[in-house]
Amino acid sequence: MEDELSLLERIKRHDQQALAEVHDRYFDKLYHYLSYRLGDSEAAADLAGEVFLALIRALKRNNPPKTSLTGWLYAVARNLAADYIKKQVNTVPLLEDFAADEPSLADQAYLSQLAPTIKAALVKLTEEQQHVIALRFGQGLSLAETAQIMDKSVGAVKALQHRALASLARFMPSEIDYDG
Amino acid sequence: MTDRFESILDESISALQAGVPIEDILAEVPDYAAELRPLLYAATLVANPNPELIPDERKAVLRAEYLQQAADLTPITPTYREKLKAVTRIIKRRTSRQAVVSDLVTITVTVILTLAMVAVILNFMAADSIPGDFLYGIKRSSENIQLIFTLSEERQQALIDEFNNRRIDEIDKLIEENRAAVVEFRGTLEARGEDLWIVEGYNISLPPDVDLEGDPQEGNRVEVIGLLRKNNLIVADSIKKID
Repeated sequence: MEDELSLLERIKRHDQQALAEVHDRYFDKLYHYLSYRLGDSEAAADLAGEVFLALIRALKRNNPPKTSLTGWLYAVARNLAADYIKKQVNTVPLLEDFAADEPSLADQAYLSQLAPTIKAALVKLTEEQQHVIALRFGQGLSLAETAQIMDKSVGAVKALQHRALASLARFMPSEIDYDG
Repeated sequence: MTDRFESILDESISALQAGVPIEDILAEVPDYAAELRPLLYAATLVANPNPELIPDERKAVLRAEYLQQAADLTPITPTYREKLKAVTRIIKRRTSRQAVVSDLVTITVTVILTLAMVAVILNFMAADSIPGDFLYGIKRSSENIQLIFTLSEERQQALIDEFNNRRIDEIDKLIEENRAAVVEFRGTLEARGEDLWIVEGYNISLPPDVDLEGDPQEGNRVEVIGLLRKNNLIVADSIKKID
């Protein structure tokens, strides 16, 4: 597959084939990211489409992504998601398929006990923490990939991930018996 | 402590994403288990193993809309300067320290594997060669390498005996094919005349300038190097007592 830098160079020249390839390569990823952040597949599809239209507008203004196409696309998706969430009143992101692959009975018990609380807690994180959680756990990206998209060091993403999970854990009821 | 904990947390998350149960992960790091446990449960709850797929028709509509907008963009032909810049960038990337190291590693590994493959093939082809054959040197070199890398004295002696049996077989084959060649073998000195000895059943002629070492007597083990003539007589170049 063509590397990202070459693809970026081609879209800067408004190469139609490259522009189509960008859509084919990134649409599903951005849709999943937005779907995770918003918990609304219809809105996620609209905003994913909007990310690509934003790319066209940026090219028309002669202000294309500078170095990282992936980072640029996710940054636009992130901003669109943040704006959308801000406008929604009492909206809680949905994590319908939160269960792990074939969890043990003990894990399932915990999951059902904790799920409503943790879902509600997700929106109480900072926007940056929500972003890192969506990339790491919604998209299943590695630390390095997440760091590249967020334009941060791996160490900074580790710290951010730690704080985000610690914040979520604090929202869990204190009476939960972790030792089963 | 924070850096260490964050690394452990990340390794635990990787294990979790690979399907390892939480309690198994915690058992590996008991000192951190209490702090890790709620974080790993939180990570499990926010995981999204089965992301929802967008319907194909919806995606196709959005793609068509995007491509329609893209079609309005006027293609930009790169200037000479931009082309030069692109070429320079490619050269720079190819000559970066990382690229050079990577190329060197690839070349080295390829060369080593090729040489190893060639050595194995040549060794296989040389197995049945006899003195005077083109590949005979490879057969002997391979045997010497085997001896060098055999550390046990007992095993080394067994190899020397095995290789000497090959030398005897080679002489028999040379005699059978009526070929002359330089031969080298070890055997028992069975009879000792003035200028004709018998070693391991072979007639050995001793020219006046033969190199004799250790004054071998009948019954001694000797090493013979000489020229096997077509009349089945070996003209000795040197005879060394090895007992």
